[in-house]
Amino acid sequence: MPFDPEERAELKRKFVEFAETRDASVRDQLIEAHLGLAEYLARRFSNRGEPLDDLVQVASVGLVKAVDRFDPERAVEFSTYATHTIVGELKRHFRDKGWAVRAPRRMQELYLRLGKLVASLSQEIGRSPTIPELATEAGVTEEEVLEAMEAGQAYRFASLDAPAPGGDDDNESLGAHMGEDDPGLAGAEDRAALSPLIATLAPREQMILHLRFFEGLTQSEIAERLDISQMHVSRLLARSLAQLREAAEQ
Amino acid sequence: MESSDEVRLAVPAMPEFLRLARVTASGLASRLGFSFDEVEDLRLAIDELCYSLIGRGRAGTVQLRYVVLPEALEVEGRGEFDGGGPQPVLTELSERILDALVDEHDLSADGDGPRFRLLKRRSG
Repeated sequence: MPFDPEERAELKRKFVEFAETRDASVRDQLIEAHLGLAEYLARRFSNRGEPLDDLVQVASVGLVKAVDRFDPERAVEFSTYATHTIVGELKRHFRDKGWAVRAPRRMQELYLRLGKLVASLSQEIGRSPTIPELATEAGVTEEEVLEAMEAGQAYRFASLDAPAPGGDDDNESLGAHMGEDDPGLAGAEDRAALSPLIATLAPREQMILHLRFFEGLTQSEIAERLDISQMHVSRLLARSLAQLREAAEQ
Repeated sequence: MESSDEVRLAVPAMPEFLRLARVTASGLASRLGFSFDEVEDLRLAIDELCYSLIGRGRAGTVQLRYVVLPEALEVEGRGEFDGGGPQPVLTELSERILDALVDEHDLSADGDGPRFRLLKRRSG
């Protein structure tokens, strides 16, 4: 939101004042002056099926945080700083709502392909493959493999109704993988006593956390034991940890 | 000859920048010949430790230092935040998780702010 030089100097002055006094009315003025930025950013996320009004609300929360945290002594423009905070807030909103912030499609596809290759290569060579081995097998560069692993990370926050990458059937939803009546999950409730936070996770995720962190199994071993893909284990693990972090901060 | 390569990275202390911390780690780990599983573990560990420094995001930066050792990767992170803030603590669960993911880890704070260190060795 372009300001003329005079406005900009005025805002700068107010940020310094606010930093010193934490005066509520100055804070309100600063927030008001930048609502346009919040709205502009909210609009950029508005084609994802969420009402614009809600997104503007979310963006405004980000803006308030940015105003409160901004340090005018730092050599960064408020608009730059606020953009990061607001976009972060919007992304979190989509993530909490179970919407993935989309990784490039090509990378998502490579991620799905890698899932299958990791499984077949592990079988073949009897250990988890290295990145160069995977790259060679997939016919892509090492960087592309690493990039796809990152894309997978973004994908991990996908909705429970989203296709489960790396599953036997790519159209199968994640929800279907988390049945309540899996006999392998017996006793999961007892383990949950370890931490009330863990209890908030789905039973299968509790199981995976337990196997990985308390019994020390590798991701591949867990995949084998639960008869799901290694990529799937990896995705569930990262998602569980992210959920626990969120919960721990509440 | 023993090699010791070092890479430094400074990122804003916001969750959306942790990607760079992860990508750098996995790039170096890949060079070291870490397996896919090990790279995944490393990425989770970096996330866990970085989040313990920055929470949902702070004003300031995280300074990362990656040291490529002959058979291992060492990563140090230091939070440089504006105006102090709470001391970082690892929950018992986080401790447990990190024990499983990496060979050594440590989180501490001194006058210069919070810092962590991790070491992951290549297997086999």
